[in-house]
This record gives sequence, C-alpha cells and structure tokens, in this order.
Amino acid sequence: MAEKKYECLNPTGTQDPVDLLPLAPRLKSLDGKTIHMSICGEPDITIPLEKRLKGDYPNVNWTVKKTYGIAPRELTPEEMKTTDGVILGVCW
Amino acid sequence: MPYLTDLEASGIPTVLIDLSEETNKVKHDARLYGVPAMRFVEASRTMDGVQDVDRILGQVVDALVRPLSDEEKKSGVWEPKEPRILFEGTLEEAEEFYQQTENIPGILNAPFARYTDGLPIVIPTEERVERMLKGTSHKPDEVIRLQRDIDMRGIGEVNPGFKRKKGEIVRFMPMGRSATVEQVAVNAVMAGCKPEYFPLVLAIAESGGGTGDGRGNGGAYVVSGPIYREIGMNVSYGRFSPGNPPNKTIGRVGSLMWRNLGGYKERVSTIMTYGDPITNGGFIFAEYAEGLPPGWKGLNEELGFRKDESVLMTVRPMGWGLGQEHMPGVYRSLQKSGHGAIARFLGVKGKPGPHNYIDYITDGIWRTYEGGITMVLVPSMAMDMYAYGFKSKEAIYEYIWKKSFEPLGTYRMRGRPDWFTNGWTSIEKTSGKRWRELPDDYMVPAGGESPWEDCIIVCDGEETASERFSGGHGAAYSIDVWR
Repeated sequence: MAEKKYECLNPTGTQDPVDLLPLAPRLKSLDGKTIHMSICGEPDITIPLEKRLKGDYPNVNWTVKKTYGIAPRELTPEEMKTTDGVILGVCW
Repeated sequence: MPYLTDLEASGIPTVLIDLSEETNKVKHDARLYGVPAMRFVEASRTMDGVQDVDRILGQVVDALVRPLSDEEKKSGVWEPKEPRILFEGTLEEAEEFYQQTENIPGILNAPFARYTDGLPIVIPTEERVERMLKGTSHKPDEVIRLQRDIDMRGIGEVNPGFKRKKGEIVRFMPMGRSATVEQVAVNAVMAGCKPEYFPLVLAIAESGGGTGDGRGNGGAYVVSGPIYREIGMNVSYGRFSPGNPPNKTIGRVGSLMWRNLGGYKERVSTIMTYGDPITNGGFIFAEYAEGLPPGWKGLNEELGFRKDESVLMTVRPMGWGLGQEHMPGVYRSLQKSGHGAIARFLGVKGKPGPHNYIDYITDGIWRTYEGGITMVLVPSMAMDMYAYGFKSKEAIYEYIWKKSFEPLGTYRMRGRPDWFTNGWTSIEKTSGKRWRELPDDYMVPAGGESPWEDCIIVCDGEETASERFSGGHGAAYSIDVWR
C-alpha cells in the first residue's frame, strides 16, 4: 500500500509588496552644494572623514548631525529643501 | 534605511558607509526598503581610521557625482509570493524537506536551516494545523495585531521608549513581515506545541514573536496568571530543565517565528554578532503566584492586569547569574541561625533572621554591568524578605535601585553609557541636567533609569536558591484575548 501523502503548510510570514525606486539623480560636482553628513557610530572613521571632507572640499557647505546611536538623526523637511546630498555612516 | 529611501525618493542623492561584512545586509535592506541600487562604500573594522578614510574618500564623493547607470534608474515592484501549501508528500519526505539547509558564505559556509531552528520539527500537516487552530477563537486568516496599547521601554536618548497602539499590525523582523493566526499555528505545530498552548503562543506572536528589531534571538518570556496551571507549565523544581513539554515547546516557538515569520538569516537579513546562549533553544517560565507573601502583587497585577488574568511579559535575560553565588544551605544558615558566609558578610553572625539577603546578592553586581536585576525567589525566601521589612515588591525594587548609585566619575568608566547617553550630551534623569554639566561626585544610578528595571518573580520550591538575570519588567501582553 502506498504511504499516505500529506499537504504541509508554509511557516513563512507575509511580505508586503515593495515599490522599488530609482536612485535620485547625482550631482555634477560638489562645488557650491550643501552636503549633509549624518554620522552614527564609529568615530575612528567618521571624525577623520569629517576633517578630510571639510579640508579637501572647502567650497562645499557642510552640515553635520551626529549620534552615538545606530539610528541617524534625520533632517527636518525644511533642512531637506536646502540639502543637495547626504553622506551617512556607519550605521543605518 | 527607511530614512535613506526617503532622501532618495525626495531627490537627494545619498551614499552609505558601512563596514565590509555588513554589505549583504545593506543590499538586503536596500531592496526591502525600496532602493535596491543604494550606493554604499565599505569601511574597514580593523584599519586605522585616517588611512581608511584616505582609502574611501574618493569612493564617497564618486557615489554622489557619478551619473546613474540604466540599472540604477529602474523602478518596479518587489512582490515575493509564498504558497500556502509548501510541500506535499509522505511524512518522511516532508521531514527531509523541512530540515533542508543552505550554506551561507558569511558564516564560513556553515549550514543554516531554511525552515527550522536547526532541530527536527513536527511536520505541519493541514490536519495538525487545523487542530492547533482549535486552541483559539480567532479566525485563521486574522492578521496578528496589537490587542492593546503597549509601552515599550527604551534606554537613554539614543534608544528611547515609545508607545505602540492597539490595532497596529505586528511586524516580524528583520523582514518586517506580517503573519496570520494560521501562519503562527504552523510554527506552533513545528515547535511541538499542543492546541491548549496556542493562546500563549499567539501572545508571543503579538509581542513580535521574539524577532525584536531583527536580532531578537527568539525572545524570552515570563508567564503570569492561571494559564500556567491549565496547560501544565512547570513552575517548580526543574523549571529551567528538560522534561516539561509546555516550557520546552513554547519556549522554542519564538526561534521558529524569528526564522520563518521574520525571515532571520544570519549575515544575510541580519547581523547578529554571536547570538545569545541564554535564549538559544527557548526561554520561558511561569510565576507561582500562590507562593507570594501577603500584599505582594503577582506579575500580572504589577503590569496592570487582574490577578485572574493570564499575561505574557517579555524579558531580556542577557546577563545570567547576576550577583554573588552561594550554596542553598548557606542561605538557610543565614536565616535560621545567623551562621555561614552570608551571615559573616552581613555582620549578623549568631543572630537568627530575618536578614536582608538583598544586600548580599546585589553586592558588586554593577561593577561590570548597568541595569536592573530580575530575581526568581522561592516562597520561603520571599517570605523572609517580607518578614525583614519589605512589605511589597516595590519596596525591594526601590531598595535595589538606590543601592546602585555611584559617583559619576566612576560611571564614566563604563562602556555602554558612551552609547546610551549619546556621548554624554543627553539629559541625566535624576538631575534634569546634561551629563556633561554634572560634577564627578554626583551620584547616578548604575541600576537603570528607575526601580521598574528590577523585578521579582516567585516560583515554587523549598530549596533556597535564587536565579538572577538582567531584564526587569518588560512589555506585557494579554494571553486571555487570544483564547
């Protein structure tokens, strides 16, 4: 006699569909732009990074927000209006 | 990552700096949050920071100015579909199917289970899942949602507490998936649970199924209220040992929810560091409220429920065995006749109890640890503390918390506060001032932000041993609403 076959259910959760977006257009150059540094964690990297960027790119208007946490301190809607690019690290 | 998505969607180009072994997780999250082509630069965990910045600086700038490729301009929809019936075949074939593994490069190609916690499971046949569903009045297709408002405890400014609202869909992390009652039942069957355990399992699901923020380890749970008796949870000798089906199988179900409902896959969807040896394999136990001293509240009442309500509390027992060790007999000698090591420590040699065991057990616990302590006491030890003068649990919590105070100059030497004080820039709660403005001799609590971070649970037994771990009071979920 053939062994009984069973229908077995799926333990996996339900993934909602995700709209996939293109990247925002890139900048032609950083000169004259407002670039925001969103720093979270790893000061051994982010402190020299901030120094180098400000030193090597003096024509950029640099803005910075820092946290020791793993969630970045976000730009306000007003700040987003005047920000041309964001560098975020090291957590996200 | 949702923040980076918002920025890109708003037309602001971004670049993420990650650490090189996190790249799989970055790619994974980028797709999950809708920007699969997210640009990132890999920093090093080991290289000197100045040299590392020299190495990556050009890449960071390039990511902001390099024109987009055709691939990076694409939009679309990611819509993974999972069939309800996953497998059809004999039980033996099903065992082989459910226990399949894949080799993950990020963990040196060690095998990682696709559908289990690594242990054999009970095959979730349609009939078995149907039987499990008889353990609740909730419909199989009901999506798991919060059944009441929940206050989530946080730590410091960088990880503050927050409120969650009744009706909110529960998201199982790290994938942020939802689940139906039936999907939870499938995992309960796989864990070996019985239908009468199912309301408790559903409360675990409501709590997030032990998935946390994606690094939940399957969670850890304490049960309060009459359900422990109804389903036969062992609250007595051997409560942390093998042999009791509800403790073992319900404890295990969180790991399966994390793997299956949440989609945990190490070094792919999650970066877990090394896991948690305390909760690996399951962590659940129940309170024996019948053993409480007069006037001491059960955990359910402490958490705002009635004493006849069954409640699940989530805990984080990341530190086990906190406090001084002792042989159980040494405790009896202390209280019976004032002899033995604890009596010598307390300076009560020759004087019968009651004596303050709390002074002994908490000595030195904050030397390398910050936060509260959870203690499991047997009824006679709880009664001793009552007789000593602690007429409520709250009185002990307050006492322990106050013992934890130390000068700020000492507190600054600790590792974690750098993080949760946000580099000492946030407000210290007892003073209302910024940490940096306080003098070194200002006294601050190493035992957490409030006495609520301590917790006492009474379990059955006469052997005078206590279990102690970190965690304190966690979020509370009704089990009864899932009956």
